[in-house]
Amino acid sequence: MIGEGGYQQSMNTLIKKKFHSIVGDDHFRDRPEDLISYSYDAFTVEAAPDLVLLPVSTTQISEILKLASEHRIPVTARGAGSSICGAPVPIHGGIVLSMTMMNKILETNTADRYCIVEPGVINGDLQVELAKTGFFYPPDPGSMAFSTIGGNLAQNAGGPRCLKYGVTSDYVLGMEVVLASGEVIRFGSRNVKDVTGYRLSGLFCGSEGTLGIVTEITLKVLPQPEAYRTVLAVFNNLDDSAATVSDIIGAGILPAALELLDKVLINVVEDANNIGLPRGAEGLLLIEVDGSEEQVEKELALITGKARNNNAVDIQQARTPAEREALWRARRSLYSCMARLKPNCIVEDATVPASKLPEMIRGIRAIINKYGLLAGISAHAGDGNMHPLISCDMRDQEEMERVDKAIEEIFKLAMACNGTLSGEHGIGIAKRKYLSMSIDEPTLNFMHTLKHAVDPHGILNPGKAI
Amino acid sequence: MSVEPAVLNAPEVHHCSKCGACLHVCPVYLQKMEEGAGPRAKVQLTRHYTERSLPTSEYLNNLVNCCLMCGNCTAACPSGVQHQSLFMRMRSYMTTDHGEGWHHKVIYHFLSHEQQLRLASRFARLGRNHMLKYLSREFKIGNIPARRLPEWNQQPFREQTPEEPLAEADSRGTILYFTGCGTNYIYDQVGHALCHILKIMGFRVEIPESQVCCGLPLFIHGNLKKAANNITTNVKLFNREDIVAIVTDCATCGSALHREYSNVLKELGLATEAAEKMSTRVRDIGEFILTNYALLEPHLNPETNRQKVTYHMPCHLRNGQGITTEVEELLKRLPHVDYARAVDYDHCCGGGGTFFYDHPETSHQIVSEKIKNARATGADLWVTGCPGCSINLSGNLEETDTISVEHILLLIDRALQK
Repeated sequence: MIGEGGYQQSMNTLIKKKFHSIVGDDHFRDRPEDLISYSYDAFTVEAAPDLVLLPVSTTQISEILKLASEHRIPVTARGAGSSICGAPVPIHGGIVLSMTMMNKILETNTADRYCIVEPGVINGDLQVELAKTGFFYPPDPGSMAFSTIGGNLAQNAGGPRCLKYGVTSDYVLGMEVVLASGEVIRFGSRNVKDVTGYRLSGLFCGSEGTLGIVTEITLKVLPQPEAYRTVLAVFNNLDDSAATVSDIIGAGILPAALELLDKVLINVVEDANNIGLPRGAEGLLLIEVDGSEEQVEKELALITGKARNNNAVDIQQARTPAEREALWRARRSLYSCMARLKPNCIVEDATVPASKLPEMIRGIRAIINKYGLLAGISAHAGDGNMHPLISCDMRDQEEMERVDKAIEEIFKLAMACNGTLSGEHGIGIAKRKYLSMSIDEPTLNFMHTLKHAVDPHGILNPGKAI
Repeated sequence: MSVEPAVLNAPEVHHCSKCGACLHVCPVYLQKMEEGAGPRAKVQLTRHYTERSLPTSEYLNNLVNCCLMCGNCTAACPSGVQHQSLFMRMRSYMTTDHGEGWHHKVIYHFLSHEQQLRLASRFARLGRNHMLKYLSREFKIGNIPARRLPEWNQQPFREQTPEEPLAEADSRGTILYFTGCGTNYIYDQVGHALCHILKIMGFRVEIPESQVCCGLPLFIHGNLKKAANNITTNVKLFNREDIVAIVTDCATCGSALHREYSNVLKELGLATEAAEKMSTRVRDIGEFILTNYALLEPHLNPETNRQKVTYHMPCHLRNGQGITTEVEELLKRLPHVDYARAVDYDHCCGGGGTFFYDHPETSHQIVSEKIKNARATGADLWVTGCPGCSINLSGNLEETDTISVEHILLLIDRALQK
């Protein structure tokens, strides 16, 4: 039976049997308990699929998509399910294609500076493997310890050090993709320089599984920098800390990370970690530079100069690797600290040009106060990627209405600052209703034209991204 | 029977933000690589069960019970969800819904009736030795070949020791020794080593005779009420002001006494003050020796045969008692030890109470990886501080393996000048 949106409404036993014969018992799940297990990510909206398949090869995926196309069954790819925008939630039912069993690192080649991985490889596992030969893969989303490369690619994930190094799409050299028809295409190569044909990797990064199922990824990797310097700059005025960021970026310095915390976050982090953060401070910058010894010393001097010019009341440098790790651990604990205050924690990621940072921070604080929310402001400040963290309780309808209104106002503010809806988390279900604020109609139509061309029946992750 | 209010009270489920941080630390998830095997799904399934959007089923029971209760998820959870308490409660509901197998019933019965356990251990000893003659080489208990199961003590350890405390003239104070079932019924030599070491360090060791099983195997499987008697008995015996410490040679018992007793009592709505007071004195023997190393050092014979040693850290030490680097530190200090860390020294062994019995395949995959990495260190001795881990690690070694498993106390005891 074909229902709303032209999709198969409930999968009959015969079709299920056909899928079963492709993957076999160990990779086929259709009991209610399993369907519930694949009904969520870290976003609020949940929806159970009709079937979960855990393929182990490109061939299986190709067969699955042929069959799904034939019967108009939605297919939603899923990595670790750690997305915070609902991207892997199957809101139209159908199949969830879990990529977790395709988790092999196929090749690491440091001489030619690339590696080839299956989509289910965990970002953190890849880092461990690369570190053995003194290399690293720069994109470092907060979820890197458990999120998959495939998921990172689908959301075009970023992270603190993307300020200097760029996001996921800057590291994808090539891919193997299964199209909705079941056809397998391969594009890109093992070469950093490659202008042969359209650069399709840019199209697939951030497409949230709406254009094809990625089955193999070739990534660029970099040698680890020789030296680091990590400092903490303390400000009595949040505007001063934001101005410091604009000054640093404006002077052409590109730190490996430039993270901002407001007073609320300084205090919740200090409550949990007890590492001596200045509780009275209004703003804090965590700044890290990396490179050669000479370079980091020079940049450090310039940065501390800028901070002092902007009335930094204290500048502390991490003297040992352990001190550096303690600072980063504190930064990474932001989410957990806020998540402990109330049952839920929403992180938004509207992004603005770095020069608009002071304006954006003032504006967000005003919006939070206006709606009486329990929220702190952090930012990957160097690239204007705001991360207001809002502690809330999904079960409190009245509070959630205030949260929604606040988020909408934050987006409006970002747009007025020449910003964008999402810097690194993606659109998923969460921000789809705001798309028109950021993308005009002809452009959105162009995206739909592309989508329709590669997925004419709209079976790939319907209702997401665009 | 288990506690049975109409609806499972599970406030924890609303604190799970579904972020996924628990997945990549869960030994079961890492083997199965599917969501249903991980802690996040267990929490969400519990939520659906509680909200009645998911009916109970045997399959749900299996999913909920396919868990090592190692505590890695809780340690990694940004939102502070206490998975163990939640799962304990959910398991008791599953037992109410589906009952438990006869073999589990037998185990739980004995662990909650010490007198009968003592008697049963004698039969088990005879049974093991007798049965082995008739069982095929391939016969397994869970994932462990029957031939590789340890022998039972001739006589329970607590009956071998004099009732009078082991006194020393220049006593540095009294230590209460919680012996645990592992030492009492299987590894008596570990108990003797513990008494010998502490005596040499100048302590007076007292072994309360009427102590009973710590109860952890009961309550982690949801048998909270059965465990309550064990807990109350032990707290009454061990909650004393006149002692230096309560030591355990078993990470699992240690975690029960140190942390879980008050949680279980709270679950049952019973008073927790005495258990909490007692818990502040509970020390793992490895950590205790390291802290008091100066008392041990003069007695260690530097001429003792050197051994290359690797270490397995029990989950119940790290997650259950917050002991992280101490035992490794102790190993590095011992004069007769060349310490070689295995890459996964702190990963779960896959034993997990009755997990090795209930889920032999998954358990075997987990322990095989451990064994591979322990062999790779080139060590000839693999020490740990938990009889449960010892049984599982040792039980899964091959006859041809040159590495053997031992409690760290035996290693220390060999270096004492006699």
